[in-house]
Amino acid sequence: MDLHTKLKILGAAAKYDVSCSSSGSSRRNRPGGLGNASLPGICHSWSDDGRCISLLKVLFTNCCAFNCLYCVNRATADVPRATFTPDEVAQLTINFYKRNYIEGLFLSSAVYKNPNYTMELLIATVKKLRKEYQFNGYIHLKAIPGADPLLIAEAGKYVDRMSVNIELPSSQGLQLLAPQKDRDSIIRPMGFIHSKILQAREERKLYKNAPLFVPAGQTTQLIVGATPDNDLKILKLSESLYKRFSLKRVYYSAYVPVTQHPNLPAIASPPLMREHRLYQADWLLRFYGFKADELLDETQPLLDTEIDPKSAWALKNLHLFPVEVNRADYEMLIRVPGIGVRSARRIIAARRYSSIDFETLKRFGVVLKRARHFITCRGKFYGERNINESTLYQLLKPASTQQKGISPASKQLTFSSLYPHVFQPEDVYTVITGEM
Amino acid sequence: MVYYIYDGSFEGLLTAIYEAYYRRETPEKILSSDNVQNSLFIKYVHINTDQEKAQRVYDAIVQKISPSAAKNVLYAFLSEAQDAGTAIYRYLKLGWKMGKSVDSALAEPHVFRVHALRKKVSQEAGKMLGLVRFRLLKSGVYYAPIEPDFNILGIIAPHFKKRMPNQDWIIHDVKRKLAAFYSQGQYAIVPFEFKGALPLDDEEFDYQTLWKEYFQNIAIKSRINPRLQRQFMPVRYWKYLIETPGTQAKS
Repeated sequence: MDLHTKLKILGAAAKYDVSCSSSGSSRRNRPGGLGNASLPGICHSWSDDGRCISLLKVLFTNCCAFNCLYCVNRATADVPRATFTPDEVAQLTINFYKRNYIEGLFLSSAVYKNPNYTMELLIATVKKLRKEYQFNGYIHLKAIPGADPLLIAEAGKYVDRMSVNIELPSSQGLQLLAPQKDRDSIIRPMGFIHSKILQAREERKLYKNAPLFVPAGQTTQLIVGATPDNDLKILKLSESLYKRFSLKRVYYSAYVPVTQHPNLPAIASPPLMREHRLYQADWLLRFYGFKADELLDETQPLLDTEIDPKSAWALKNLHLFPVEVNRADYEMLIRVPGIGVRSARRIIAARRYSSIDFETLKRFGVVLKRARHFITCRGKFYGERNINESTLYQLLKPASTQQKGISPASKQLTFSSLYPHVFQPEDVYTVITGEM
Repeated sequence: MVYYIYDGSFEGLLTAIYEAYYRRETPEKILSSDNVQNSLFIKYVHINTDQEKAQRVYDAIVQKISPSAAKNVLYAFLSEAQDAGTAIYRYLKLGWKMGKSVDSALAEPHVFRVHALRKKVSQEAGKMLGLVRFRLLKSGVYYAPIEPDFNILGIIAPHFKKRMPNQDWIIHDVKRKLAAFYSQGQYAIVPFEFKGALPLDDEEFDYQTLWKEYFQNIAIKSRINPRLQRQFMPVRYWKYLIETPGTQAKS
């Protein structure tokens, strides 16, 4: 089989993995080497579905021993199969990288023969890239559920980011759709990687040259809509993953019906809006100081698809509003619908020198369409008079409720330039605003 | 009313600011010589660029305001916006009064304008880091043409120097007729014009095809969303890509 066919099959097979980011690592190039990692990450292209292409995302093989019902590559599926050699993956990565098509490699795999055997093949590939080809670009590697911890520890030495996909948010879901996986085989490696990361970080505090271990942290992915799990359950799970394992990201993937089975829901198109709302709620958890319990509860376990989760929260808590933009503290400002991390920071900075008027708010990027109902500016209220929760709900709804794609704010990157003194690390800022 | 006219270089702009200070004048606008429209009621003062004066202004920015103010000024200048010179002048004037806290005074229109320009430029530079596409030429040199909105070649070149230190490369700003030439640890940005077909390396075609095929296959059919794609990657940046975005939406 030639390389073109292999890349077609194994590239297409990897597309359901959402993670694409190349952020979080500042691996440096070495003399004689090729490539480095960029802390805020770099997107190189955007595919026709609007998702960013940052890494060469491929499976090592799609010959799978497992039979997870939601997956295109399950053992019983009738699809063309292919397997790379470590050298082919390395050659592709290097040559794409030299032409600046990609930021690095995202290597995943079906379970070939058994988890350990597959993991060894993946390690052989990344080791080849790092040692033989002197590649210092970004590598994101999947940890195969059920692989030996020693193998995972070995892999972690060479890669920037590792991830174990949870895929289904509950053990019942796993039992139903992926009988060969169990909760433990997924959670255990996550805990193991987490402890190794902490250990490596401590060592690097003592010795500058202590080896790196997964410097960009770990992530995971949840499929939304393949099982009856509700949003509250999903958000609670994410919250505890962030807390317990300090995950960098939980990715949500709207379930794409690739196959039919009595255990799977029959849906016409992937639940994109639900996925979008989950991402918004996820951001609220990580960067806006919200807790899952504040956003949802047992009586209302689903996110509103009409309005965004922050607006929905504000509507439930109207007694906290309006707040005065010239006085409210940062924690409260970012809870106002229409005010984000960036505009809140601008407000805080600017009002130290002069009080802020309504026009200035607009320039600062505050979405006044939403925010005006929840703020006062120099004591004046600019929203509608005499409204209650339900009329406000109507006002906050977007004019057309057609499904739009996910559109997180564009990314700001900054770089050193010709002039000295000019370089200021703004990377920290992008990390805080969470735009990667 | 007085307008200062400089030659369009960064040093020229800094010289103009120097002159305004020492001549104790407050020019209404500081403009680059290529966007001047003559008017009877305005006195135009042409400024001769002076490296030494420019350097003194630059040092004063770094020392009396802050290094990040110097970055704001340079990036705003690279935007080539018509009002950039004037906004920078007002921003600096305020900066020398307020010190480094000038960057917090965002309610001031000129401060905000400089910040907004800086942001636009650094955003495009960031985007360009990903969108540059090298083609391997017969001679073993990697060549990439670009046409950015702003003059960002100087911002992105150091990134590729760090990333690809062992390959010779050229990044060519076709619109501004500038190119960054890199070889063995050093690069230079020089005026450069080139027309005609490039002799590509034999391997090049194969890798281009591989990339195109990969690009086609990575999109999920049931999620095709050309609007979102164009939002992140505006059509004006497609010209020099290897891949062909937007082809699946049509079929």
